[in-house]
Amino acid sequence: MLDGTARPYQRCSVSVFDTLDDPGMVFDDEGRSNYYHEYQALAREHLRTGREAEVLLDQLVSRVKANGANRPYDCIMGLSGGVDSSYVAYQAHRLGLRPLAVHFDNGWNSELAVKNIENIVSKLGFDLFTLVVDWDEFRDLQLAYLRASVVDIEVATDHAIAGTLYRLARKHRVKYLLSGSNISTEAVLPPHWIYNKLDHINLLDIHRKFGKRELRTYPLFGTAQKKLSIDIDSVESLSPLNLLDYDYDRAKETLARELGWRDYGAKHHESIFTRFYQCHILPQKFGIDKRKAHLSNRIFAGQLTREAALEKLEEPPCPDDVARSDQAFVLKKLGLNDDEFDLIMRTPPRAHTDFAVERSMAQRFPAMRLIRPLWRAVRGAATIIKRD
Amino acid sequence: MTASPITIVDCQLGNIMSVQNMLRRLGFESTVTSSPERIAAASKLILPGVGAFGYAMNQLRKLGLEAPLQKRVAEDGVPVLGICLGMQILCRGSEEDDVKGLGWLPADVVAFDSERIEGHQRIPHMGWGEIEVPRPTRLFPATSEDTRFYFTHAYHLSNDDEQDVVAWTTHGYAFPAAIERGNIVGVQFHPEKSHRHGMEVLRNFAEKY
Amino acid sequence: MRRVRVIPTLLMRKGGLVKTVKFDRGVYVGDPINTVKIFNDKEVDELVVLDIDATNEGREPQIERIREIAGECFMPLGYGGGVTTVDQMSRIMYAGAEKVIVNSALATHPAVVSEGARRFGSQAIVASIDVRKRFLGGYRSYTHGGTRRMPEDPVTAARRAVELGAGEILLNSIDRDGTYEGYDLDVIRSVASAVPVPVIAVGGARNVGDFLQAVQTGKASAVAAGSIFVFHGVHRAVLVNFPSPSLLKDQLFQPLTAGASA
Repeated sequence: MLDGTARPYQRCSVSVFDTLDDPGMVFDDEGRSNYYHEYQALAREHLRTGREAEVLLDQLVSRVKANGANRPYDCIMGLSGGVDSSYVAYQAHRLGLRPLAVHFDNGWNSELAVKNIENIVSKLGFDLFTLVVDWDEFRDLQLAYLRASVVDIEVATDHAIAGTLYRLARKHRVKYLLSGSNISTEAVLPPHWIYNKLDHINLLDIHRKFGKRELRTYPLFGTAQKKLSIDIDSVESLSPLNLLDYDYDRAKETLARELGWRDYGAKHHESIFTRFYQCHILPQKFGIDKRKAHLSNRIFAGQLTREAALEKLEEPPCPDDVARSDQAFVLKKLGLNDDEFDLIMRTPPRAHTDFAVERSMAQRFPAMRLIRPLWRAVRGAATIIKRD
Repeated sequence: MTASPITIVDCQLGNIMSVQNMLRRLGFESTVTSSPERIAAASKLILPGVGAFGYAMNQLRKLGLEAPLQKRVAEDGVPVLGICLGMQILCRGSEEDDVKGLGWLPADVVAFDSERIEGHQRIPHMGWGEIEVPRPTRLFPATSEDTRFYFTHAYHLSNDDEQDVVAWTTHGYAFPAAIERGNIVGVQFHPEKSHRHGMEVLRNFAEKY
Repeated sequence: MRRVRVIPTLLMRKGGLVKTVKFDRGVYVGDPINTVKIFNDKEVDELVVLDIDATNEGREPQIERIREIAGECFMPLGYGGGVTTVDQMSRIMYAGAEKVIVNSALATHPAVVSEGARRFGSQAIVASIDVRKRFLGGYRSYTHGGTRRMPEDPVTAARRAVELGAGEILLNSIDRDGTYEGYDLDVIRSVASAVPVPVIAVGGARNVGDFLQAVQTGKASAVAAGSIFVFHGVHRAVLVNFPSPSLLKDQLFQPLTAGASA
């Protein structure tokens, strides 16, 4: 956990990030943090509205349709049951695209997620493919991440999603991935809160050092697959939400009304593990409240007031009874007793870079050594794999 | 929560863990025990049961639990909830076996009358059934259209006093789904296996008795 | 309104869930605990979990696994696979299951079935009978995962199971298993007509319409299915699903309540 006591506490005048979230935060004369400026830069680069957005969207749709002309599917679309990917599905249908919906089942789906996915594919008439990783294998990988004490335990899932999407793109000879990645809810966040989801070297090293089972059904996105998909097949990930004036609350309303979509209560709570990770592990072990990222981005996007965000932050990330039953369930599934889990929680966090990292990323992004460019590289890579 | 702690009597008669699981999910802690001492000190009791009447009563006696239960329930008036067979042993006796029950409830346990059940209905009565509540009680303050509970039994109650019956159900004909007489409460169905409907019943017992 | 139980059937192999076709192959479906939790959250009527290799591998029922699964079930749970002693039955129920399902024991340990019924009540003992249609007509019953023939035909086997004390029959068509060809109504009807206890039909279900047929024509008291509750669509994507209460009411319960049934 980063020690924020070295400098006086200050909170961004626009968002809800503060110096406890990132001791390296800098502020301009109006008290706006560097996150504000970084958001503006990313928005300028990726967000489009009005006529310009329409034109770009048309071009995107034409490209995808042309490429998939004589094939069963013209794009591969990840579907988790969450807001972002559900809304992409809704839009893909409206735009007349023919996606293959793909879901990665890591054994933690809530009933709500599964029902939302069912409603979406049934009502929109999409074919669905699920990759179910062997649970004992995946549990072992998650335990490896927990014992490694690194912050981004979700890499285990997010990496697999990428691996799955790219595998299916190859199999169906499809050039385009349709991603739910978007600026308005996830452009910026403190770099040490996450790690590069595509770095398979890091994953394999953590697994080698703390895992016990061989990875056989796990859809690794390794060097060979990357070369094939990105360099040879030129598979491209598209983020249509940035051209669709994406507003989180409005999207939820549309989904509920049109597709009977049901709300989880918070971002990512379609996975019970993710809910536990964000409600308990991140705050208690790493001192991170991930809601601040989601809320801050929406403030920057002009979709939420700072007051409303601060109000939400006054409540705990999860109600107590949910937290209690989640802990019992998670420990049961992972096969951990209270003492073992306690030990994991008390072990000081380690950086992902304590373990091997993918050198090609360092080559592509030579300034990776500096914190600030790292998060841009991470964000860039993260647009490809998407979990809402 | 001012609910008194719940003691679940373990006669080694089948599934008691589910009762404890559901109570825990509702936020109520409970103790599972076959210790006569702990039962003698209980402030609220649940008597689950699955199986045969005679076998159950013999188990109860073998474990030395009849005396502490008599004292605690019949004399001290501690609330007790009998579930399924646990409710049946509260009665005087059963047609199933030639063994006396606890006798706290003026009622007998009888076999389903096969002449009165419809062609497609079978015995044991197994499945989800709806109930009729003659008047609101602590256990059943209100029911909705989709209230249902899981039944699995081949015998049912026959009460001397129909006022003791707080919920009825049917399988060919109407018979008691739940009873209440003073501190003696019983349900023929399995609340611990009846999803949120069962949760309501267990919650009511935990909070209101 | 007349209700019939609609029961997902889950098959366990090496600690994970699989789905077979005609008792063969075995597509991995996922973690039992999470799958059971999803069914529980959907408030399904009842669940059957069968350890399909236990008998052939000579293994004991995995009590700890049963306890973990039962902890997620606020509906009745029936467990079967490798049950050959009353002590196992007791431990299975103590771990949280309502019913013990016996198959091979009907052939190899019939006295255990009786003793179990005497001790726990007939409603706690389910006799699972696996059947295949004979080439020239009639049916045969099998144990040991469909590998060993029983001397009796299904009707005789079912009657004997009831005499031994079983309170329910789980009638499984091996031929229809995982095929989406619909239930084998003939064998269901012949068994249901021969015994006084509830018969649960399983093997081949495609939709709620098949459930109605199994009850109306087949005289089953309850219906079970595997494939339709875990797969979705042309790619057989693993996606746990269950008919909504309103769908069951419209297409199963109300037609049954309205129609006459002998």
